[in-house]
Amino acid sequence: MFIEVKSAKKQYGTGEAAVYALDGADLSIEKGKICVILGPSGSGKSTLLNMIGGLDSLDAGEITVDGQKITGLSKKELTAYRKQSVGFVFQFYNLIPDLTVEENVEVVAEIAEKPLYTDEILKALDIEKYRYRFPRELSGGQQQRVAIARAMVKNPKLLLCDELTGALDTRSSRSVLKFIEKVNAQYGTTTLIITHNEGIAGIADVVVRIRDGKIASYTENDHKLTADELEL
Amino acid sequence: MKLNKRYARSIKTDLSFYVSATVLTMVTLLMFYLFYIAGTGINKYGDDFFSKYKREDATFSTYAEIPDEKLSALETKYGVTLEKERFAATDEGDYRVRVFSPNEKIDLYEIQDGHAPEKDDEIIISAGYAAENNVKVGDRLKVNGKEYSVAGTFLRPDYLYMVENLTDDYKNVTTFFLAYMTPEEFKDSFGGGSINYKVIYGDDTDQVAFRKEINENYYMASYLSADSNMRITFVHEQADMFIMSSWFILVIFPLVTVALICILLGRRIRAEQKLIGTLSAMGYEKTKLMRHYSLFAAIPGVIGGLLTSVCALILSGPFGSLGLADYEPMKPQFTLPVWVAAAGVVVPTLIYWTAAMLRVRKLLKEDVVKLLAGQVGNDAKSRRILTRSKKKVGFKYAIRQLVGNPGRSFVIFLGIFLGAMITAFGYSFIDSVKAVGEQAHGEFGTFRYEYVLNTLEKGAPDGGEAMLILPFEDGDMRRFSLIGLDGDATLWNLKTTDGGKADIESGFYISTLCEAICGVHKGDEFTFRSIATLEEHTVKIDGVIRNGYQNYIVSSREKIAGIAGLDKENYNAILSSSSLDLEKDRVSETITDKSFETQMQNMLNAMSGLIYAFIGIGMIVCVASLYATVNTMLSENRHNISMLKVLGFENGRIHSMIISSNHLLLLPGIALGIAAAYGIMAWYCARFVEIEKLMIPATLKPFSIILTAVFTAVCYFASLLLLRRKVDKTNMVEALKDGRE
Ligand SMILES: Nc1ncnc2c1ncn2[C@@H]1O[C@H](COP(=O)(O)OP(=O)(O)O)[C@@H](O)[C@H]1O
Ligand SMILES: [Mg+2]
Repeated sequence: MFIEVKSAKKQYGTGEAAVYALDGADLSIEKGKICVILGPSGSGKSTLLNMIGGLDSLDAGEITVDGQKITGLSKKELTAYRKQSVGFVFQFYNLIPDLTVEENVEVVAEIAEKPLYTDEILKALDIEKYRYRFPRELSGGQQQRVAIARAMVKNPKLLLCDELTGALDTRSSRSVLKFIEKVNAQYGTTTLIITHNEGIAGIADVVVRIRDGKIASYTENDHKLTADELEL
Repeated sequence: MKLNKRYARSIKTDLSFYVSATVLTMVTLLMFYLFYIAGTGINKYGDDFFSKYKREDATFSTYAEIPDEKLSALETKYGVTLEKERFAATDEGDYRVRVFSPNEKIDLYEIQDGHAPEKDDEIIISAGYAAENNVKVGDRLKVNGKEYSVAGTFLRPDYLYMVENLTDDYKNVTTFFLAYMTPEEFKDSFGGGSINYKVIYGDDTDQVAFRKEINENYYMASYLSADSNMRITFVHEQADMFIMSSWFILVIFPLVTVALICILLGRRIRAEQKLIGTLSAMGYEKTKLMRHYSLFAAIPGVIGGLLTSVCALILSGPFGSLGLADYEPMKPQFTLPVWVAAAGVVVPTLIYWTAAMLRVRKLLKEDVVKLLAGQVGNDAKSRRILTRSKKKVGFKYAIRQLVGNPGRSFVIFLGIFLGAMITAFGYSFIDSVKAVGEQAHGEFGTFRYEYVLNTLEKGAPDGGEAMLILPFEDGDMRRFSLIGLDGDATLWNLKTTDGGKADIESGFYISTLCEAICGVHKGDEFTFRSIATLEEHTVKIDGVIRNGYQNYIVSSREKIAGIAGLDKENYNAILSSSSLDLEKDRVSETITDKSFETQMQNMLNAMSGLIYAFIGIGMIVCVASLYATVNTMLSENRHNISMLKVLGFENGRIHSMIISSNHLLLLPGIALGIAAAYGIMAWYCARFVEIEKLMIPATLKPFSIILTAVFTAVCYFASLLLLRRKVDKTNMVEALKDGRE
């Protein structure tokens, strides 16, 4: 399996105030798939994603990605892991406001080991025409495309998206999801999408549901839809 | 929502900002207090001491002694107090002593330690020498070949600044002191001794008539008013200089600090625009909001001001004492007037308060929707530069940060600039004083010894070169010497500023120092008068000789003798390139080429504490302001930092990317700071001519420039390094949670 999560546990706070964000979650995902993770707010989705992406570490359990054990890596090793293998997209695009679209992508390409061509990725996300604009001059959907381009330019093994359509209207959401689909098809990047929007589940190869820090269900999607067909 | 709950939390998160703002406020206020306390304390002490111990208005000497009964006649006639002071000079080899018989009416002494001399073998000595050489009451000292027991130490009003000879440029407490013995013992040892007359004028004394009468009857040999007596004027002049410096500091430095803090506060308030917008949308009154933020702003002012005032009130003694280095060990009451201390709290507080209030008011005038979106101040056009350039992204980012945040860039620049300026000024002071010593050699001439004789002599000058040197004053009573030399004189420096040699046989030449003091230049007609006869003379100045240490006009011996009404054969000093064996009682003073450098070195030693304190302050200002600003910078970039972390940037790389824009300011800041320091030093030197009668060439050596640059750069990088942990500490997940930029 490409991603392997075994009895992952993460606790925030102690004593009375303790919250089990992850309470023994198990999950495996094949390479190249799109996986949509659904669950109510506070169920532990973001925590799971952050663990897989090496932003934080587990209290107990184990995570392997492409044969590499993530659990137990030092801060430095985690940084290197993120640099080489993981692309993140968040609900709020978090672009660097003082850099243009092109530069926001370029700055990551500069540190990546085997980056894609900036031009190529800008073209793939159809944002070439905005390359000299600053983030504040773009709509939310356009900014989110830049964020995807930035995540993809390092040609990561994993693309992790946390509520990436959470701040967007239906039309922009659909467009953004279209590009996720496209990128997944073009580069074969294993993609995890977190959402509480059931409608998105249609584009997934695998749909996972989380409740109270545990995996509640794991379903292979036999009727995969395109983004255009989704009912958002 | 209770806004007040935010205070503690907000201060905690921004602790380093508040600490550095407070430190900056304190440092600048402290500098002001330091100079102010010293200056006012010394002035007050001087006034009290002068009136309590009957400071003279003038000292003079005559060729014929004035009989005692004539003294009281003169007193009644002119409404003056007049007293004959008997003194003698002795040279013990290691040290020289000026011994007095105690006065009764003028220039009285004050015992510092021990008691007045009562027995024949008791003396008291000047307190500065005793302190410097660790002489204790009960120690024994040889004076005039006889051993005395030191009964005590004293100060006297005309020697609070212990200048040995009036031609000297700095005090001497290492090899020279004053002493009193009992009148009987003085008489036994020195007979009548030499005589000076001390006078205190009444309110309506006709001073010119008085001096003329003295000259007509007793032939005035020298006359020195208290106004031109460095030993006396120095007391108030240096104190005034301290006070002037304190106002200068109060105007310049806190203004700079205030600018710095206001700009930083403004940015912090802008960073909270969403909250301000929300509160305003919720119907919060504007005045309440303004008050809320003003209170935050007032904190560094109140705490910094209070701490400094309390500090200054408690430490005013040691503070003020820093200004005493050049004086005899006076014991002024150093106090900080409560109103000044209060002003130190109120002024900065009020300024920060107002700045914050204006800032919030301006924000509240903006569209609430824009505030809620956090877009106010985010649309600066200048950030749009270099968009199409192919340069490295990091470089473009740095440039945009720099020009897109002019206020912040200005503050960083200011921190570097101030640090470099204060440090360079300290070094420049040291360099300049050293340069005086070095340059002086060439400007004096090639003689090694200058023997000043007790009387006018004639005939061959015993293997040296004859010199006639006489005191004169200009219309404003500024004193200088008229020097007469022979046409074939070789030992005195006669090189003119035009590069030629002064033709003293036919003209008059002025030293650069005299030029600066009296304000006469080449080609001018200069009118001056004899100190004795008050007779006026006018000569044309034919040229200038570079000499910033001696205050004179030089011409031929014949011409000078003519002006003074003396025989052209007369001389009263001998210049020599080797030591001459002159009878002891012929010589009143021996000046060697070494004594000048010693004086300069002593001056440096006395002031070095103050100078290094100054350099230390420069570094604190530099580090504190950089720290405060870069800290703000990193706080503002919290989102960028966490996103870069998520993207896999190493902490070091993030840190340097965020702060690299500042590097572009380092060199200009240092360069301009050094230039400004040199400018201030030049101004300071110009003031110094008036106070010390000494031209200091404003100097800043390459090595000092390098030291300044290195120190400033070290401070700069140190404060950045201190903030590295801020990047390490930024939590990726947390920072990204709270919404859009
Ligand atoms: N840094 C944190 N400190 C304390 N509690 C946290 C932290 N992060 C997440 N939690 C808690 O863990 C639980 C799971 O959070 P999260 O993974 O963000 O849920 P989701 O993304 O599904 O909404 C929640 O109850 C949340 O309050
Ligand atoms: Mg979440």
